[in-house]
Amino acid sequence: MIRVQDVSKVYEGGTAALRDVTLEIIKGEFVFLVGPSGSGKSTLIRLMLRQELPSEGQIWVAGKLITELPGWKVPLLRRSIGTVFQDFKLLPTKTVFENVAFALEVIGRPRHVIRNQVPQVLNLVGLGAKADRLPNQLSGGEQQRVSIARAFVNRPLILLADEPTGNLDPATSVGIMRLLDRINRTGTTVVMATHDHAIVDAMRRRVVALERGRIVRDQSRGAYETAEQRIVTAQQRPLTAELEGDL
Amino acid sequence: MRLQYLLEQAMLNLRRNVLVVFAAVVAVLVMLTLVFGTIVLRWSIDQDIGRWDDNVRVIAFLSDDLSLEDVDAIQAQIQQWDEVRDVVYFSKAEALVEFRELFADQQSLIDVVEEDPSVLPASLRIAPVQAADYSTITDRLVVIPGIREVSAADEAIDALVARSSRLQTFAFWIVVVLGGAAVVLIANTIRIAIFARRDEIGIMKLVGAGNWFVRIPFFLEGIIEGVLGAVFAVALIWGVRGSIAELFSTSTDPGALVVPAEFMIRQALLVLGFGAGTGLLGSAFGMWGFLRD
Repeated sequence: MIRVQDVSKVYEGGTAALRDVTLEIIKGEFVFLVGPSGSGKSTLIRLMLRQELPSEGQIWVAGKLITELPGWKVPLLRRSIGTVFQDFKLLPTKTVFENVAFALEVIGRPRHVIRNQVPQVLNLVGLGAKADRLPNQLSGGEQQRVSIARAFVNRPLILLADEPTGNLDPATSVGIMRLLDRINRTGTTVVMATHDHAIVDAMRRRVVALERGRIVRDQSRGAYETAEQRIVTAQQRPLTAELEGDL
Repeated sequence: MRLQYLLEQAMLNLRRNVLVVFAAVVAVLVMLTLVFGTIVLRWSIDQDIGRWDDNVRVIAFLSDDLSLEDVDAIQAQIQQWDEVRDVVYFSKAEALVEFRELFADQQSLIDVVEEDPSVLPASLRIAPVQAADYSTITDRLVVIPGIREVSAADEAIDALVARSSRLQTFAFWIVVVLGGAAVVLIANTIRIAIFARRDEIGIMKLVGAGNWFVRIPFFLEGIIEGVLGAVFAVALIWGVRGSIAELFSTSTDPGALVVPAEFMIRQALLVLGFGAGTGLLGSAFGMWGFLRD
C-alpha cells in the first residue's frame, strides 16, 4: 500500500529530516511511527501526502509512484488518503455537518450523496446528535472525532494521522484510538505518528521507531520503547491497564 | 451544483472585502469610461471627416448626363496631373451606401434620397501628392466640362484630423496606465481573499480538491469586479453619448448627430469584454505563485 525506498529529505539550510529511510506498509496494516520531536515522523507523513518531495529516493502510495506524479494528479492521490492532525483543522464558521460535507463538496460529490453519507459517518464517530453544532461548541475529543469523520467520509484506502491525540487528555485519547482501530478493521491502512507511550504500548501494533531521521526499529506488535529502554512511570501504569482493558 | 457552489464562493469573497473591491471596481470604471468615451468621440469625428479618409482632399461631383466613357476620359486626364497621386471613381450606388451610413439616424433624409437618386451624384475622389495642393487641383477641375461641383477639404478638416489622432494617442496612454492600476488593484483583492481563506484552502487541498476547483472562485471574483466596472462605465457613457458626439462636431445643427443604438450596443459589448479581460488578468496576477499544489 505504501512503499518508501531509500528516502532522504534535507531542508534548505542543511537540516536532514530523514536519512535513507526504507519502509513497506501493506494493505490493512496499523502502523505507529514513534520517536521524539524532530525525529522525522511528520516529515514522513508530509512526503506520503505529497505536500513535499524527498531530496532522494522514491515513494509509492496505492500503486502509484507519487514522487514522479505530475502536479495536477496530486488531488486524485489525496482523495485516496484521509488525514487527521493534532490541531483538528476544522473550519470554525461551519457546523459539524458542513465541515464533513466540505470534504465531499470540494471533490464534486452530488448533493444527495452528501446528504446520505455525512449523517452515516457522523453516527459512526458518535456525533450524530451534534451535527448542527459549531466546532467551538465541542470538546477537544469531539472536534477530533469530526476531523476523523471528515477524513473517513470518502472511504479512503489510507488514513494518515499526525499526533491525533497530542492535544487530548488520556481518557479522551482512548476513545479516539478505539475509533481509529474500528476504521482500521474496515480494511483501511492506518499510519499514525505519535509519542504517546501509553497508547502504543496498549495497542501492540507494528511500531516503526525513528531517531534523528533514521529508522532504528521496525517491530510487529511492538511497544513504544524496547525492553531495555522501558521505564514505566507510576502515573502511566494504571492508564496502561485501563487502555489494555478497553482495547 | 458545482457551478453554483463556485459562484457562491466568489460572491462570498466579494462581500468580505467590500472596500478593496470598491477601489478595484472604480479603477476599472474610470479606465473603461475613458475607453468608451473615446470610442464615441472618435465615431462623431469620423462622421465629420469620414469622406476625407485615405488622403482624399478633393471631390469632383459629376453631371448625371456623362457616359461611362466620358468619365473614364476625365479620370485619365486628371490622373496625369503632377499634383495628383490617385483618382477613384465613386458611383451613385456607392454614394447612396455612404449616405445611408452617414445619416443612419435620420430616416426622413434617407427616404428623400431613395425616392430620387439623382440628388446624389457620382464623383471622382482625388488624393493630392501633398495636402496643400488641393487648391491648385480645385482650380483646374472647375473648368472641365461635365464636372458639376468641386468640394475640397480645408484646413479645418486637416486640423480636426490631427486633433483627433492626438487625442486618441493621449487617451491610449492614459488607458494603459489606468488599466495597469486596475489590474494591480484586482490582483490585490484576490490576494486578500486568498489570505482570508487560507485555512479553508489548506483543507480543500488536503481532502483532494482539484487545483481548478480552488482557483475558479478567485477567477470569477476578478471577472465580476471587471464586468461590474464595465457595466457602470457603459451606463455612464450611454447617458451622455449625445453630449460627447457634439463635443467636436462641426455641424451647426444641435442634435443632428445621434449615435445609433446598434453602434452603441456593439461597442458596449466590446467594453464589457475588455472589463472581463482586465478582471481575468488581475486574478491571474493575484494568484501568481499562490495556490500551487
